[in-house]
Amino acid sequence: MRSYLTVTAGLLAGVMSAALLLAVGPENPGKYFVLENGMRVFLYEKRDLPLLHVVTGFDVGSKNETDGTSGLVHLLEHCILFRGTSVRSGAEVSADIRRHGAYFNGNTGQDISAFEISLPSEHAEFALRNQKNILFGLDLSQPELDEEKEVLLEEYNQMEDDPQRNAVDLVLQALFPGHPYGRSVYGRREVIRAATAGEVLGFYRKYFVADNCALAVVGDFATADMERLVRDVFGLLPKTGLRLEPLPMTVPLKKSVSQRFERDVREGYVFLGFVAPDYNHADQYAMNVLAEVLGRGVNPLLPALLRGERDSVQTVSMSYLAFRFGGAALVSIKMDPKDMATIQRAAVGYLKRAHNEAYSKKDFTGEAEIFAFDYLESAKNQIRFAVGQAEESGLQLAGSLARHLLLNTRDKPGRYLDEIGRVDSSDLRKTAARYLGKGEYVAVSIVPRKGEKQ
Amino acid sequence: MRAAWLLWSCAGLLMAAGPSGTPGAPWRENSEKSTLATGLPCVYQKDTNSPTTVVGLFAAGGKSAVPLGLDGLAYLTTRLTLEIPDEGMAQDLMSQATRLSLLCSEDFSAVLIECLSENLEEALRVTGKIIQDPLITGLRIGRTKEMMKLYGRSEEDESTVAAHNAVMKAFFPGAGYGTAVYGTEESLGAIDRKDAIAFYRRFFSKKGLFFYVATDLDRGPVRALLEKYFSRFPDGEDVSIPIVSPALPAVRDIALTRDSKQTYVGRACLLPAPDAPNQAKGYLLETLLGKGPGSRLWGLRMAEKLAYNVDAHVTWTKSSGILEAYLETENAKSARASEALERTLADLQDKGIPDEELRTTKTMAKAQLLRSAEAKASRLRTVGLYEVLGLGHDHLSGIFEAIDSVTLEDMNAYIRAALAPERSLRVTVGPSRAGQTNR
Repeated sequence: MRSYLTVTAGLLAGVMSAALLLAVGPENPGKYFVLENGMRVFLYEKRDLPLLHVVTGFDVGSKNETDGTSGLVHLLEHCILFRGTSVRSGAEVSADIRRHGAYFNGNTGQDISAFEISLPSEHAEFALRNQKNILFGLDLSQPELDEEKEVLLEEYNQMEDDPQRNAVDLVLQALFPGHPYGRSVYGRREVIRAATAGEVLGFYRKYFVADNCALAVVGDFATADMERLVRDVFGLLPKTGLRLEPLPMTVPLKKSVSQRFERDVREGYVFLGFVAPDYNHADQYAMNVLAEVLGRGVNPLLPALLRGERDSVQTVSMSYLAFRFGGAALVSIKMDPKDMATIQRAAVGYLKRAHNEAYSKKDFTGEAEIFAFDYLESAKNQIRFAVGQAEESGLQLAGSLARHLLLNTRDKPGRYLDEIGRVDSSDLRKTAARYLGKGEYVAVSIVPRKGEKQ
Repeated sequence: MRAAWLLWSCAGLLMAAGPSGTPGAPWRENSEKSTLATGLPCVYQKDTNSPTTVVGLFAAGGKSAVPLGLDGLAYLTTRLTLEIPDEGMAQDLMSQATRLSLLCSEDFSAVLIECLSENLEEALRVTGKIIQDPLITGLRIGRTKEMMKLYGRSEEDESTVAAHNAVMKAFFPGAGYGTAVYGTEESLGAIDRKDAIAFYRRFFSKKGLFFYVATDLDRGPVRALLEKYFSRFPDGEDVSIPIVSPALPAVRDIALTRDSKQTYVGRACLLPAPDAPNQAKGYLLETLLGKGPGSRLWGLRMAEKLAYNVDAHVTWTKSSGILEAYLETENAKSARASEALERTLADLQDKGIPDEELRTTKTMAKAQLLRSAEAKASRLRTVGLYEVLGLGHDHLSGIFEAIDSVTLEDMNAYIRAALAPERSLRVTVGPSRAGQTNR
């Protein structure tokens, strides 16, 4: 969860993370190395503006919690960012950050906790030393923890007031019953309220170590200089030998789930979730393309179908979240509440039949081929465009690199755009059949409270 | 130990203030403005970061051009210029991943074209055709109105947006800036085809349009394409719109009812019209109050534990800036949050800021500007706004100088005037309390 900005997109845009690293071309390959303490590092020069972007990720997220610790990682993320260290108070950290013109934030997900700082590149040394200090030097008293809990519970309230963030959280909980991904990344209020500083620090000391960490630096620097600085700042951190046992992979849902919640909203919101391939699965590329074809591109199939069904459909989008031990395909629909049942039925029906679609011109012969629209080609272009856009944002690029360093388990994953280029129409049908056609699904709807004026 | 860390930190700052200093014009390639052979002005900026191009066609008709009772007319008309009548043409754009979208802001509307640079010619060929010869029919108008009703309704599901709309309506009652961008049930009913055609004819002419292009392509070929495909706009009549200043309403409290878990508590203040020095000071005030750790409002989160979300935002119009400073708090804390916000603003207004805080705020503001203009599409919005406000496209570099020129005395005088309670509104959005009006 973003720690001071409301960003729903973070949850909805996991799809491109692999794309960015692997889109890096041979003309600027970046530099990857591993420090002796096990910290993985990627440096990437982007010299158009005098900015530096640093993202430090740890392989710890809600997946590492239990029912009794649900919410501690998120709480820890807040404390690390804002509650100070053994050498600086939280207020001093904030003042230092501001003095250097830095954007400073963090986010907690199912797999990873990530911490980001973005500032003028002349302050590169400050950026690295600051991140080392807050990430590896947390000092937390019970009163400080209690203060941060109040802020965290405000975030919890805000999430529940936001139908989209709330619905995504609920869909993921229902999609992975019994699996650690089935726990909310926001955690449980009662766990957060009862947490002690000792408990939180115990969690922290286990997971926030160099050998469980990846560092990505993107921006205006010379690689050799930055490598020296990184080794100087992070090289002396101890290696702990932490080895995390892999989690079981998620399994298909046994039975579809439908949940309905009333809120003070004017629109109706439906979110559908299907179990999808994990971050390292060979189907991830086809799933990315399928999400573009069905619900993300310029004129994807699903919105066209649903708008044809009812004019009151406002937005339809599809996203693919690839986790380390599973994945989720999410469809979100915003519409007039009176049409929700019809639209939900139409959407599910269409997704279940998506394996019968002709996605490419090559699926046709003769004259039909000339007039057919090539959804496959369009989606591939969409992805190329999205990768191009992502290359413009250094912080986004650094975040994707750190995530990839922590989630990737393949020796040679291949260049992302090349893999996307190899996806054909038959791959899309097979993927649709495997994950949408046969799988059960979760539907969460958020509707206006009864009696409220539309 | 803490002192030692601070010493190190200060040493770092001193070193950083060496010869490289603060960048005056940090862009590798500055923007250039020229006039195309067709008579349309064009701001071009080379950016080789990605193989993509963004083109914005800015029209002088924004919310300010909307007549009384016709809320939504600017958005509706601009949206109609993006209707693609020919299915084959639409398919070409889709297959190339070209995106068309629009912005409808206080003083301008803009059509945005984003594409892979290799497809720029096709993108401009199609958009040139539809924008210069839009199909403004009753059927299309009806469909667009239905869509706008949905957009308008979903805005009410976000407290910060609902609060902003209410503030603009209160400061600018009636026509222009205070109108609802997506219209209202009544105003959409009142708009007919001839209103949309008249709006289009008035503002989509050479007198009211300009391009901004950020691309990895060279200037010459881009100019040639714009000249080839956008050559048919008429000369047009005068597009100037009287500048309307904000008026302080008699009732200074706005209370919207929403059965939410949190209550939005905010204050909206009037800022002077944005010439270069005042725009810089307004931007500094926005940064001083909000924008993350260390800001003045941050204390309401960190020390007083009143909120997760605290921020400040300025909306610029030709006549003024509207500053909104706010937090979102648990309902039970709303009275305390309101008191704390008032106290924070009153303290700032009364005592001003010390020199060190001004220096820090300048550093933060300049860095924020760089980050916000890093990507082509977001830079387009900023450059377009500067050009429309009369600050000029090169204010993207000039603002760094304008920020550096602000003195402590200037800034504190500005703060004293801007935060005067008698020139501001108080806003809450949350569960009903006695005396509140319903939304």
